[in-house]
Amino acid sequence: MANNILENLKKAVVEFNLEGAADLARQAMEEKVDPLEALNALTAGIREVGDGYGRGDYFLPELVGAADAMQAAVPIIEEEIKKSGSVKQSIGKVVIGTVSGDIHTIGKGMVTSLLIARGFEVHDIGIDVPTEKFIESVEQLEPQILAMSALLSMTAPETKKVIDSLTEAGLRDKVKVMIGGGAITEDYAKAVGADGYSPTAPGAVNLAEKMLGIN
Amino acid sequence: MPIKGLKRKFGIQKILSEGDLEAIHRGTLRVLAETGVAVNHEKALKLYADAGCLVDFSTNRVRFPQWLVEQALAQCPSIYRVKARNPENDMILSGEGDVTYFSPSCGMNTLDLDTWTPKVPTRKEYYDFIKVCDALPHVHMQACFPYYGFARLPQAMSLIESCAGKIRYSDKVQMEGWVLDNYRWNIEMCKATGQDIFCLGNPGAPLTYSKEQIDNLIYTVESDMVLHFASGVVSGATGPSTLAGSIIADNANAIPGMVLAQLIRPGARIWLGNMMFVQNMATGSPAFGAIENSLLVAGYNQLLRKYRIPNWSITSGFVSSKTIDYQAGYETALAALIAVNSGSSMVFLQGGLTAQLTAHPVKAIMDDDIAGMVKRYLEGIEVTDETLAVDLINEVGPIPGHFLNRAHTRTWWKKEQFLPGVADRLSYAEWVEKGQKNAIDHAKEKMEQILAVHKPNLLTPQQEQAVEDILKEARNYYRKNGMISDEEWKAYQEDLNSPQYPFA
Repeated sequence: MANNILENLKKAVVEFNLEGAADLARQAMEEKVDPLEALNALTAGIREVGDGYGRGDYFLPELVGAADAMQAAVPIIEEEIKKSGSVKQSIGKVVIGTVSGDIHTIGKGMVTSLLIARGFEVHDIGIDVPTEKFIESVEQLEPQILAMSALLSMTAPETKKVIDSLTEAGLRDKVKVMIGGGAITEDYAKAVGADGYSPTAPGAVNLAEKMLGIN
Repeated sequence: MPIKGLKRKFGIQKILSEGDLEAIHRGTLRVLAETGVAVNHEKALKLYADAGCLVDFSTNRVRFPQWLVEQALAQCPSIYRVKARNPENDMILSGEGDVTYFSPSCGMNTLDLDTWTPKVPTRKEYYDFIKVCDALPHVHMQACFPYYGFARLPQAMSLIESCAGKIRYSDKVQMEGWVLDNYRWNIEMCKATGQDIFCLGNPGAPLTYSKEQIDNLIYTVESDMVLHFASGVVSGATGPSTLAGSIIADNANAIPGMVLAQLIRPGARIWLGNMMFVQNMATGSPAFGAIENSLLVAGYNQLLRKYRIPNWSITSGFVSSKTIDYQAGYETALAALIAVNSGSSMVFLQGGLTAQLTAHPVKAIMDDDIAGMVKRYLEGIEVTDETLAVDLINEVGPIPGHFLNRAHTRTWWKKEQFLPGVADRLSYAEWVEKGQKNAIDHAKEKMEQILAVHKPNLLTPQQEQAVEDILKEARNYYRKNGMISDEEWKAYQEDLNSPQYPFA
């Protein structure tokens, strides 16, 4: 029975079924399925789609659809994990957002989906995110990586503001900062004091792994 | 069984007014009645005379009454099937211009992709080209020849062995390359393998049919195969330098052959060809790839739509460029799009370079993307409640809403977008990361991939034996007639006795 539910959870992700994934997650928790195993099933699904994207069998709509299905189920399972006091396994925690004044969401969505597919725990704090919210999220969620997206040359300097504020708040050495988006270059990332930059979404995942010493 | 050709969602582009079109038609009738054509074939002259033409037997000149031309035009079927060895690859040709097919262009030789030097293909390179064309999704018919035979073949056997190669390695519709009396063997090989073949009855411009052309025509029509006429008018050389005059000249060259075919077998399957070029007045050769060639295609297409006779736009397969470059790309793409837009039944497209002196499967693979893009264009914009997506737009609302994560997007984007096989569409950063490959690099990789995995549908042992018997007959015939030299025969025999024969 439990195996069947786990298989269906994975299937819901692979089939981009948001409602199905959430319903199955609730059912699994009611039936006392191990929440960590439920989470692993979801991860297996998103990894399958992520691998397909890497091979060129799947495209962005499928990748984002699978990530959305997973994200629909995750909060339900996480609640159970908190209650049980178990420790959730992930290869690293990332907070991601698009900087203040910038409402671009697709690139950030791609990076988020691919990070999730790779096994990261990702907290997407949205678009047009004010500096204070970035700082607050780093304080509360304690991620290893803060990822910022800026598509416009007008909004790129926001990344520097956030990095400077991290320093002021005494958080800079507790988190690696990666930035990306159309307006960012390697040189720019260095100049504003970021730890890393990637021009592509798959590159951002490699960078995150490198930052955390994962092979 | 669904038709594999391209179907259009919107109207055919007309570039001539009704009055201008009528003027071209009437001009043709006047040329055929006042000057007529020279037909150097006794039997044909008698057939024309019996049918009501004015025939001067001392000069072999045939003049056509208007009623006979109109009657023969009406006898040409406006829609017919052309059988392939695999029925799934049958073509339905229509004179309405509502279905379009693509065939590869061809080249006398292959070429070295590093030095762009032409070279005679090996047997393997020949079969590889057919294999690639067999695998490409937008190749509907094998070209008259991908290459003019291959190394170590006797000249007389080149296009017969070439035809046998296509029959063995592809179950798509066949077309022959005509030289000497080779059509006989080509037709017999197709009959023996249960399929039709397009044969070429191309007249000489201006206004001349040779004995050999008429022999070919009669044999083809009596064999109930499909016959094609394209004279290859060159504006300013073998036709007037004006475009309207060239269309009249080309049409007046083609119609006498069409009339003879209908006299021999009323309802004979005919398609008329569109192989006109403007002259390159600097060099004396046709200006391949010129935009005026496409105007000639579009104008003649419109006339053939009026006649309701299927047609073949050959011009599009000729480019001036000697390398796979920017010029080759625009010459191929513009010609293909204009041909299809103006209602071609068949567009000669994939693979040719240097005005068909060379061709290469890598170019064919790239051209197949052009065919795919043209196909997508013809499919137009689908308008239904679902594609209008009003409810979805309302549901998503303003930013931060977006459409990327919607089931509607996942369902529709692949239906709406054609994904090119080899075009580079990466972002700059990804392109750098993945080795800075361009479309040619991708096409070379794709060629290797096709050659590694594609399995052509081979002939049955009985069919193979039948083809081999016909080839043997042809070999003996040309050897006996002194058209295969001792030297040619020796090399040929060595290859025929190789353990790999018939393949490389």
